[in-house]
Amino acid sequence: MALTIKQQFSSPGGILKFLIKHNTIFIFIVLVIFSALISDVFFTSVNLSNLLKQVSGIGIISIGMLIVILTGGIDLSVGSMVALLAVTFAILVNTVILPLAIILTIIIGFSLGSVAGYLVAFQKMAPFIATLALMTIARGLGFIYSKGSPITFKTPGGEFMSNFANNSTLGIPNIAIVFFLIVIGAMVMLRYNVFGRLVIAIGSNEEASRLSGIKVNKYKFLVYAISGALAATAAIIVASRTNLGSPNMGMAWELDAIAAVVIGGASLNGGKGTAINTLMGVLILGLIGNILNLLNVPSYPQQVVKGGIIIFAVLLQKFESK
Amino acid sequence: MKTSESEYRVEMTGISKSFGVVSVLENVNLKVKPGEIHALLGENGAGKSTLVKILSGVHQKDSGKITLNGQEINPKNTHEGQVLGISVVYQELSLVNDLSVAENIYLHKLGASKFWMNWKKITEDAQELIDSLGFEIDAAARVRDLSIVQKQVVEIAKALSEDTKVLVLDEPTTVFDPTDIKKLFDNLFKLKAKGISIIYISHHLDEIFKIADSVTVLRDGVDTGSMAVADTDADGVIRLMIGRELKDLYPPRNVQVGEVPVFEVKNLTAKDTLVHDVSFSVRPGEILGIAGLGGSGRTETAKLIFGAHKKKSGTMLLNGKEIKTNTPVCAVGHQIGFVSEDRKEEGVFLPLSIRRNISVTNFTGISGKLGFINTDNEYKNVVGLIDKLSIKAPSSEIDVKNLSGGNQQKVALAKWLSVDSKVIFIDEPTRGVDVGAKVEIYNLINEVAEKGVGVVVISSDMPEIMGISDRILVMYKGTIYGELPKDKFSEENILRYSIGKQLK
Repeated sequence: MALTIKQQFSSPGGILKFLIKHNTIFIFIVLVIFSALISDVFFTSVNLSNLLKQVSGIGIISIGMLIVILTGGIDLSVGSMVALLAVTFAILVNTVILPLAIILTIIIGFSLGSVAGYLVAFQKMAPFIATLALMTIARGLGFIYSKGSPITFKTPGGEFMSNFANNSTLGIPNIAIVFFLIVIGAMVMLRYNVFGRLVIAIGSNEEASRLSGIKVNKYKFLVYAISGALAATAAIIVASRTNLGSPNMGMAWELDAIAAVVIGGASLNGGKGTAINTLMGVLILGLIGNILNLLNVPSYPQQVVKGGIIIFAVLLQKFESK
Repeated sequence: MKTSESEYRVEMTGISKSFGVVSVLENVNLKVKPGEIHALLGENGAGKSTLVKILSGVHQKDSGKITLNGQEINPKNTHEGQVLGISVVYQELSLVNDLSVAENIYLHKLGASKFWMNWKKITEDAQELIDSLGFEIDAAARVRDLSIVQKQVVEIAKALSEDTKVLVLDEPTTVFDPTDIKKLFDNLFKLKAKGISIIYISHHLDEIFKIADSVTVLRDGVDTGSMAVADTDADGVIRLMIGRELKDLYPPRNVQVGEVPVFEVKNLTAKDTLVHDVSFSVRPGEILGIAGLGGSGRTETAKLIFGAHKKKSGTMLLNGKEIKTNTPVCAVGHQIGFVSEDRKEEGVFLPLSIRRNISVTNFTGISGKLGFINTDNEYKNVVGLIDKLSIKAPSSEIDVKNLSGGNQQKVALAKWLSVDSKVIFIDEPTRGVDVGAKVEIYNLINEVAEKGVGVVVISSDMPEIMGISDRILVMYKGTIYGELPKDKFSEENILRYSIGKQLK
């Protein structure tokens, strides 16, 4: 029902309903306030820009993950793809001119994603299996091409990228700007473009989509390819930040990306989820890590807290659907 | 008061229920005696299903009182309802496709039994139960492999597998052909004789007058009356249902049917279904009916033409030119439309808004080169269609899952009305749709035909198919067995062809 915010507040229990409906943003705000109260370092520009730098890589692959999940699929290969593509980018930076290195890396990412897309859309392979296989293949290839050790940037192009990735514009880290642009792009595509409409339609009822004359296979193929291209973008950013490409990068990132998408209220059955909420999911995960670091909580308890927050967020969404 | 308590098996008094801000039931009463068939009538969205779901424990009432044999009950979930002896056969089938018929029938008992299952006994019991209903279904078969009619029978068997005191049937006959309906009715009479109370929801008034003892009518969540069936007639009931007289269920048509067929099929044979050697043609402006029993291949024929099933041989001509439709995408490309009989699974997108549902088949009018949608044009188009089809919803942003069956069906139709089709196949246009909405849907079908579209309507509802078609094809065992021109329309003629007999 097209109730305005005011109407929602004025109906009985309205505030609670409003909070449950917008639980992702609500959790985010609570976490920000909590962080600011508990640590005086939190609201410093150094800390905030570190936080944004840390989440940008995972954030970018989370957007790809969201688009895949909207069709009812899943992409487990993105973490390993980041490793393979970071190594690829490092090799390319050291051999060809920078713009070509960037374009080639993204094309390779798109192509690798296309393999998953082909298997899922045209060979009717279960997305979990197809991308699980690609996950180990990509990780393996990363180690093969790098011979097991990190490849450092050695050219002026590499230096340029490293500067870009570690600097800020108007106080916002450049790589976070890239991330935000991708979020905005995804928002626009999902909301105002036929592509987004059809991706959501396919995820909410694949058979009805097929019988409506929608090219279901084409779109299922495309979402994995796009996820691959976004993994490439994340790889370029992550490699540039550290000035090297390593086959150990992106370890278990696919799980963080899934967590971010789910915290953002998307349904793993497909058809439900938005880019802005995924952004919130990414920031929530990042915030938890950040504040626990500021409080000097060691990393193992951090994992426990992270898991707890995921459960809490999804439980809140249960209320929403009731 | 003691005596009045024992008179009724089920007594629901002053039941109210709302979902969020939408009030669905207001102060509704329903009283059913033991050994009585009580019809629950009302248009789609009148609140019949909700009332039944409150009785069975799916939903909880906001206020009111429910008694069973004089005892107040408050089932909090379907399991509690079942334990009390209330079984419901829902309109939406709720079977597990990958389990056998027997496992499905005894599913509710599997969890409660001892550690080991006696599969042999379960299968035998299930077989006995189905045999006693008079239908031929193998209890060991997987539900996935059954026809939709057989699935419905399994649902009924499931409801009867326990010690049922109150049996609720929500639109049980929509998928049944006349022979199956007769079998079902015979079973209901047997159950009635055993003292079971039956609450029967249906849109088919003729059924009600055949089997029911008494009737309660709901309109917009309020009960407009309860009476013995003997004290009323169809017109009286319809008045209570829609609050007005219903004159022309099948509106008159003034369409100039073209001479040259817009679409022709020659010797079409399917690869994976029983459909074979199907030939027919449809002219612009014509409404062609396809009748036949369940399982005769009507839906399969439409899906074959639409490219949803694989073809083995045969040709299709659109405006005299041969076309191929190997996928639904090709069919839509040739401006062929298809409205599925299974609207929840194949027709609409339940979790999406009306707007998103309607726009999904056609973005050409509302989007630019790069696929960006002009939302103003989209709203204009969608709101126009919502108005034109009188879809009852507070706004275009309501999710389709919150609409009643009739309004969902209108959304499924609207999806295709926003595209320019040359031929459109409509499978069971009014299944599970109330009388008021039916007329509106027939008007729409007529309007589509008036634009020169060839309309093919598949229907199990005999009065409907005779009421709206210009010509009827009858299918039998996967092919077209006979053709009836308008002056030969009769239930008897359709039935004779349907069972493979010649006309008298």
